[in-house]
Amino acid sequence: MSDDQREHETELLGELRRLARTVDPVPDDVTAYARAALGWRRVDAELAELLADSQLDAESLARSEGGGGRFLSFRAADLELDLEVQETDQGVVVLGQLAPAASAEVEVQRDDRTTIASGSSDALGRFRLELAEQGRVRIVVRRDPPAAPVETSWFDA
Amino acid sequence: MTLTELLSRASAGDQAAWNAIVDRFSGLVWATARAHRLPRDDAADVAQTTWLRLVEHLGRIREPERLGAWLATTARHESLRLIRRAGREQPTDESDLFEAPDDETLDRHLLDLDRDGRLWRAFAGLSDRCKSLLRMLMAEDEPSYEEVGAALGMPVGAIGPTRMRCLDRLRATTEIAELGA
Repeated sequence: MSDDQREHETELLGELRRLARTVDPVPDDVTAYARAALGWRRVDAELAELLADSQLDAESLARSEGGGGRFLSFRAADLELDLEVQETDQGVVVLGQLAPAASAEVEVQRDDRTTIASGSSDALGRFRLELAEQGRVRIVVRRDPPAAPVETSWFDA
Repeated sequence: MTLTELLSRASAGDQAAWNAIVDRFSGLVWATARAHRLPRDDAADVAQTTWLRLVEHLGRIREPERLGAWLATTARHESLRLIRRAGREQPTDESDLFEAPDDETLDRHLLDLDRDGRLWRAFAGLSDRCKSLLRMLMAEDEPSYEEVGAALGMPVGAIGPTRMRCLDRLRATTEIAELGA
């Protein structure tokens, strides 16, 4: 490419960049949300990452076809959390199973910093929570010490 | 300050360090979502989720100096997820660079109808592949080819030649438009 061509290219990209800046800048509220996200930093808790989501994964879709629910699986170092999420007329019902089974406090946090549901799992590690509406949430599990609290990654319920 | 230092400080709760990271890469993350043709609401969702994912992984980023590529990959992953979940034609919005603007749209953005309008229309007339690539290169923070490749799932070696081809095509279209004016 000649120097002239290179210069033209740079100029043209510069104009395009200006166009994008004017027409499609990063929205202010997205930037604000991103900055505030540091507030979700885990200090003592462990992360339970999403392993599977039937909404995305063909194999699980086949399994869930009958029930009509959505299945999610999360795993932390020493805890697995399986959820079935069902949409109802009143909102969302979350049925959960902890493995290994444990009686624990369970909380659903939303990304606006509210706790929208809380309860506990029984001795078999099962729990049921009801959410009034859908949203971006995570689940926090607090077992007896010395186990650290576990927080799932954020997902859309 | 290096990315390694910024990330380390952010992991310890340093808001200023975190803000510097956000400021540096917010253009890249936004452009990635938009390059996947997501309307603004969905792109905002993707951007928010991407930043939350980084917070979830603070302190565990294996290659901090390649954070840009990590963010671009994550934003792409979340974009594809959203497209898959929606499973239907995405509605476009009026600030869609990929669609040719009408005069009213140009007016709203206070754009020069003549020069910017011509450029936007010519851009909208390019192939989807060109538009996605150029949209990445148009991001404010001028992403590296590695970051662009991660954002689009495109081999880094293909970026230079494709960029040249797309810009040539764009220039040809605007020149042709000038002849007609």
